[in-house]
Amino acid sequence: MASFLFIRLMRWSVGLLLILFVTYAMMFYGAGDPIRMMFIQGEDFDSEDEVVMLALRKKYGLDEPFLVQFSNYLNNLAQGDWGRSIRLQVDRPVLEIVQFRLPISMQLGFAATVIGAATGIALGIIASLYHNRWLDRLIVSTVLFINGIPTFVILPVLMLLLVLQLKVIDVPYGWNGLLHIDAVLPVTVISIGILPIVVRQTRSAMLEVKSQLYVRTARAKGMSESRIILRHMLRPVLTPVVTTLGLIMIGLINGSLFVEYILNIPGFGLLTIEGIKKVDYPIIMSVAVVGTLIIFVSNFLVDIVYPILDPRVRAQ
Amino acid sequence: MSAAATQPRRSRVIDDKSLSLEHHRSLWQDAARRFRRNWLAVGGLFVVVVFLILAVIGPHIAPYDFLEQNIVNAFQGPSAAHFLGTDDLGRDVFSRMLHGARTAALVAFLSTTISLAIGILVGAWSGIHGGRMDELLMWISDLIQAMPGLLLVILINTTLRRPIINWFDTLYEQTKNPFYLNTLWLDYVLVFSALALIAWPGLARLVRGQVLSINEEDYVLAARALGGSQWHIMLRHVIPNALGPLVVAVTASMGGAVTMEAGLSFLGIGVQPPNASWGSILEEGRRYWQIFPHLILIPAVTIGVIQVAFVFLGDGLNDALDPRRNS
Repeated sequence: MASFLFIRLMRWSVGLLLILFVTYAMMFYGAGDPIRMMFIQGEDFDSEDEVVMLALRKKYGLDEPFLVQFSNYLNNLAQGDWGRSIRLQVDRPVLEIVQFRLPISMQLGFAATVIGAATGIALGIIASLYHNRWLDRLIVSTVLFINGIPTFVILPVLMLLLVLQLKVIDVPYGWNGLLHIDAVLPVTVISIGILPIVVRQTRSAMLEVKSQLYVRTARAKGMSESRIILRHMLRPVLTPVVTTLGLIMIGLINGSLFVEYILNIPGFGLLTIEGIKKVDYPIIMSVAVVGTLIIFVSNFLVDIVYPILDPRVRAQ
Repeated sequence: MSAAATQPRRSRVIDDKSLSLEHHRSLWQDAARRFRRNWLAVGGLFVVVVFLILAVIGPHIAPYDFLEQNIVNAFQGPSAAHFLGTDDLGRDVFSRMLHGARTAALVAFLSTTISLAIGILVGAWSGIHGGRMDELLMWISDLIQAMPGLLLVILINTTLRRPIINWFDTLYEQTKNPFYLNTLWLDYVLVFSALALIAWPGLARLVRGQVLSINEEDYVLAARALGGSQWHIMLRHVIPNALGPLVVAVTASMGGAVTMEAGLSFLGIGVQPPNASWGSILEEGRRYWQIFPHLILIPAVTIGVIQVAFVFLGDGLNDALDPRRNS
């Protein structure tokens, strides 16, 4: 078991390094020189001044060859120095920006996961209990329907409906904490994004467990149906649901990108888009680091938690 | 028992076409029959076909040029002259939506074709040869699949833009062909290559799995014993067998590409204005959403309908092409 986890950890670490390398190479060779862009786009400076450009490049270490730059970046990263933002929030340490932005997205994501998972598991169980009857069909086709519609369509349409037509809420804008009414819409929309994954997995796992012999035994003993579901079926059903954590994380990241962009919430998703549009190397690298870490840690967690939840896996 | 009582029963048995050998249905006919029974899937197919036809003939039936501005006519509601109204620059929304259909279809078609080609090559190679190279390729495709596709596409799209602009510039210098100055094409090239780069791993895994499982079959062993080459086995046995799952995967991939393209353009990273994409039309309409809601309703409903159609079509194909499911 330990060696299995160790191999997994090694694979993910090499993967992380590879992704950082590729991202940095793409920035370096593809995205263009952020210093020159400051001048070309005329946002920060009026005319191209070679002396100032050289000095700025030296300041951010952008005058070095690629491999030196990349190893410098890794060295600094290992020591907790994420670099300084070049254009987005000039000269502010990236770590500080991340520490401000990431918690906002994490709160949104956490709330959305709790709501999405709870609703999804409940709907999946209901669908499986009414297997092939109209309620099951309704849930399955609704989920299929929702699954098709992208976040950037759902959110504007919901805003039209709730703000303009029904006038239930004001225009949500920015970030006022998770408990503020403005957080309702973003959390709902992000949780809609992960709902289909959970419903599908729960339903198919329930259908499998339903025909198990120990469930029949429990029923033969005269156990009540709710007790059978809660005591005997829920655990083997939840185990496969946990394995979708990686997919759920992808759903959260995709959702927060669009939701934060539309509602102007200063979270990590908005930082990603701003950083990319401004070709701010250290910001884009921080997005790569955090995004990859989120995915890898959640996949690694599944590897650790799965044998704890499922004794059959542990035995192998 | 009278003869009259037994006669009809016997003739009914003989007339039953499903039992007679001449009317034996092929796997594909079976699939088509199952597909036709699923009216959601048939509806999905209908919408997708209409979308593809409009994408091809759209610019010819569009009443206006999609770039034609007329500030005097800005923000008009639907009328006889402008079927879906006009936007903030007085451009005809219907014509822009038709052009957006072309953008979406082109990007979806090209990115799916490229990723399918890469996927089949990589998957078949991995499945046939195995070994270290197979492990490496599958590790890379796992890595790409584990990452959020949207993040990767955004990154690829941003970083490829400048090198491709430079490349087109040098091509223009060499050939003086005005085609290379057209940035409309450039956007398409960028978006579909970025989408293809993230979509191939799923298809490669699928093909590899099919190669591995079909290679185990006895008839493949027989073909090999009779001296059939690996390529013969590939073309005769593996690809025909993998066709069902591949059709399903390709449908899903095209639907995904349409969403991704719209999403990228919505974020202002994909197709750039003034070029029209459903995503950019939605984003432009969003600025005036409280006063002119039709400017976001039109693209939003269109994207939603197309996506749902792709999902139902894919789901129906999946059910129809899997003979084990309904038997």
